[in-house]
Amino acid sequence: MSQQPEKDKNFVPSRRSFLQGGLTAAGGAAVAAIGGGAALAAGTPDPAITELKDWNQYSGPGVDAAPYGVPSPFEAHVVRRDVPWLTADPISSINFTPLHELDGIITPNGLCFERHHSGVAEVDPAEHRLMINGLVDKPLVFTMQDLMRFPRENRVYFLECAANSGMEWRGAQLNGCQFTHGMLHNVMYTGVRLRTLLEEAGVKPSGKWILAEGADASGMGRSIPIEKALDDCLVAFKMNGEALRPEQGYPVRLCVPGWEGNMWVKWLRRIEVGDKPWQLREETSKYTDLMPDGRARRFTWAMDVKSVITNPSPQAPITHGRGHTIITGVAWSGHGKIKRVDVSIDGGRNWQHARIDGPSLSRSLHRFYYEFNWDGSPLYLQSRAIDEHGYVQPTKNALRAARGDNSIYHNNGIQTWYLKSNGEAENVEVS
Amino acid sequence: MSKFLKFTASIVLLGAAWATNASAQDADAGEKVFRKCAACHAVGDGAKNKVGPELNEIFGRVAGSHEDFKYSNAMVKAGEEGLVWDHDSLTQYLAKPRDFVKGTRMAFAGLKKDDEIANVIAYLATFSANAEQAAAEPAPAAAEGGETKPTETAEAPATNAADAVIPEHGVYHLGREALPEEVAAWDIDVRPDGVGLPVGSGTVADGGVLYDENCAVCHGVFGEGEGRWPVLAGGYDTLTADRPVKTIGSYWPFASTIFDYVHRAMPFGNARSLDADQTYAITAYLLYLNDIVTDEDFELSNETFSEVSLPNEENFYPDDRLEEANFATNVEPCMENCGDGPAEIVMRARILDVTPDGDDESGAGGID
Ligand code: HEC
Ligand code: HEC
Repeated sequence: MSQQPEKDKNFVPSRRSFLQGGLTAAGGAAVAAIGGGAALAAGTPDPAITELKDWNQYSGPGVDAAPYGVPSPFEAHVVRRDVPWLTADPISSINFTPLHELDGIITPNGLCFERHHSGVAEVDPAEHRLMINGLVDKPLVFTMQDLMRFPRENRVYFLECAANSGMEWRGAQLNGCQFTHGMLHNVMYTGVRLRTLLEEAGVKPSGKWILAEGADASGMGRSIPIEKALDDCLVAFKMNGEALRPEQGYPVRLCVPGWEGNMWVKWLRRIEVGDKPWQLREETSKYTDLMPDGRARRFTWAMDVKSVITNPSPQAPITHGRGHTIITGVAWSGHGKIKRVDVSIDGGRNWQHARIDGPSLSRSLHRFYYEFNWDGSPLYLQSRAIDEHGYVQPTKNALRAARGDNSIYHNNGIQTWYLKSNGEAENVEVS
Repeated sequence: MSKFLKFTASIVLLGAAWATNASAQDADAGEKVFRKCAACHAVGDGAKNKVGPELNEIFGRVAGSHEDFKYSNAMVKAGEEGLVWDHDSLTQYLAKPRDFVKGTRMAFAGLKKDDEIANVIAYLATFSANAEQAAAEPAPAAAEGGETKPTETAEAPATNAADAVIPEHGVYHLGREALPEEVAAWDIDVRPDGVGLPVGSGTVADGGVLYDENCAVCHGVFGEGEGRWPVLAGGYDTLTADRPVKTIGSYWPFASTIFDYVHRAMPFGNARSLDADQTYAITAYLLYLNDIVTDEDFELSNETFSEVSLPNEENFYPDDRLEEANFATNVEPCMENCGDGPAEIVMRARILDVTPDGDDESGAGGID
């Protein structure tokens, strides 16, 4: 807890600062920049129009000012954030994607949440190897260059940590969809099918499982059934067109579409084929779901159908007052495409279909919008996703009835934001 | 009077001879080396004590003198006898901590390479006002060796394309056969049926010594977990409690997981430093801390491993989420006038401020 970096100090989704200043300190600049003109009394000319601006008069920096471009300084508050009390040390910790600042379906590379078990491995690609061994005809070693010579595919997939929303099992706890739902990102990967690599080595008929292992100091390892390995798993080296970021597994990671993020082994260096699962720490001590009877589910791989409203939300209040209002959010399912998203503004009593816009891809985020005329009265906002198989996102109470409070992982319950008349939103649960 | 006095003297004598500016590259390379320390030490703005003391202003600090840190008696004594941290004493300490300060609690084997030591000291010097006169001698070899060379895009092939040898295997004839030594170097995983166990052995008693040296700082002398570091023992009969304590003894299904995980990932920050015998011994001791073996003379080995089983093994079952009522019915959900009466708030976010000083206990569960 003592490791809190400076950057977080000025961001506090606190009600006090919200009420005093109208806006949080960090969000203030951006919202004022966008909405500032609205406060002018009618008939007063807008200085944003009548005054000559510096950028209108003086030339800006030249082409090489930022060889690798960075966001506008007005977007400086759009960053990953952590919750220090969650873990003992930042080297084995987590931060969260700022979902409330994003739109569309793609997560920018620098904003994809991070979860490491022994920090970010800094791997020299020239010294990186991927080995395939075990029940294969010929154990093989590939360099990065070898990998890039196999036929490539481009696929958009979401990655969600199984513990996303895990802090909310006992009730509403964190104020902000970044914290409640931000162990989530959606990226276009370029890579080689794991199947292609396994076929190059030749899987023996007795090979029923694979072990995927990372090169970092945690030696991250997970067992994956061979059916999944031969189906859609991807050995990826690019994200959103550029090389993987170090914190996402540079130079190469595994994608296990629709399945929990922990299995997407980063810094992937070895695939072993075997006839039984390995039962390593991350699939026994962790990532098993404790039930109320004291028994535990294991191999709970798929991420079930889920959605959340990203705007408005506690970190993204409504500042424009009543009138035409847009509710937006994301929906996803580890089982396939999203068929429909419903939105309720009265805490689940009545539901309307939301509009899905942008590509609808299997095991990828879907962006939804619901537009309505807000009269300024308090609302309980909820979203509910239904996937192509008809699986319906459950209420949190339905999940608790089946699983109790202590299963940590796989909380895909419906989220409620309490939208107050002043535009502020709070994480609540309703009857 | 003390062997440490000579270091203080050496600063005076050699101070002028040492380059006054540690080159930026040394410190940069040192920042990378410092990752080996970062599990236990912080340095820089706002650095706090962790498992080890924060290392700001380490140059000129009397050993064992950080006010808020609880040192070993050995470190305090070394300070009283005149050990002051400077380039020379740090060099010796970081090479072999336990030889240099006998009885130090720093569970770290030492840095093997001289350039790593020089660079990490140069890095620490950037956080010490007193470091000028003690600035590190540049380590020229490391300046180049330690830097990652960005690979240029156009990497000219060394030979003619037509001379490339194409292997026979597979569909695309890419990659090469892995050598047995290479497979052995990486394939260290261990399965519940014992497949993968290396030859070796270690007793509970040996494991206790190793555990106290390498693990107890974080996991506690009894496996109870210091601060928020993971708890490794106890928690029996808590799996149905309001706050379950999941440990090796109370929760884990397989003893092989202990061996595999400790061998690949612990001690945190210095993974893969334990050999097979040491790992058997520590695994035996963890079983002992969890009352799974009770005899201090018990020797765990690749041969005795199959005698051990963990009590919770039977209580795991395959995923059946989709059979839960909500998913199994798969019915069209209610769209209008659902529920009884208007919705009312039954629970509000308990943490309004996600602040660093937030009450530690407030986080229910955590993320594991
Ligand atoms: C596993 C935890 C751990 C690791 C890793 C570790 N240290 Fe330490 N360090 C400690 C502890 C604990 C102490 C206090 C020792 C004592 O009281 O005997 C300490 C003491 C020190 C001191 C003396 C500080 C003082 O105030 O007297 C220095 C200097 C130091 N460490 C540097 C390093 C450096 C540099 C590294 C990395 C190359 C490193 N340590 C790695 C735990 C660690
Ligand atoms: C510097 C602190 C530190 C030291 C020293 C350390 N560990 Fe750990 N240990 C950790 C952390 C942190 C984790 C969790 C890592 C993660 O998040 O994946 C952990 C996890 C574990 C676990 C798994 C716990 C669980 O419930 O899944 C075991 C077993 C373990 N350590 C054993 C050891 C042993 C044995 C040693 C000594 C050889 C050791 N550790 C030394 C910090 C430490």
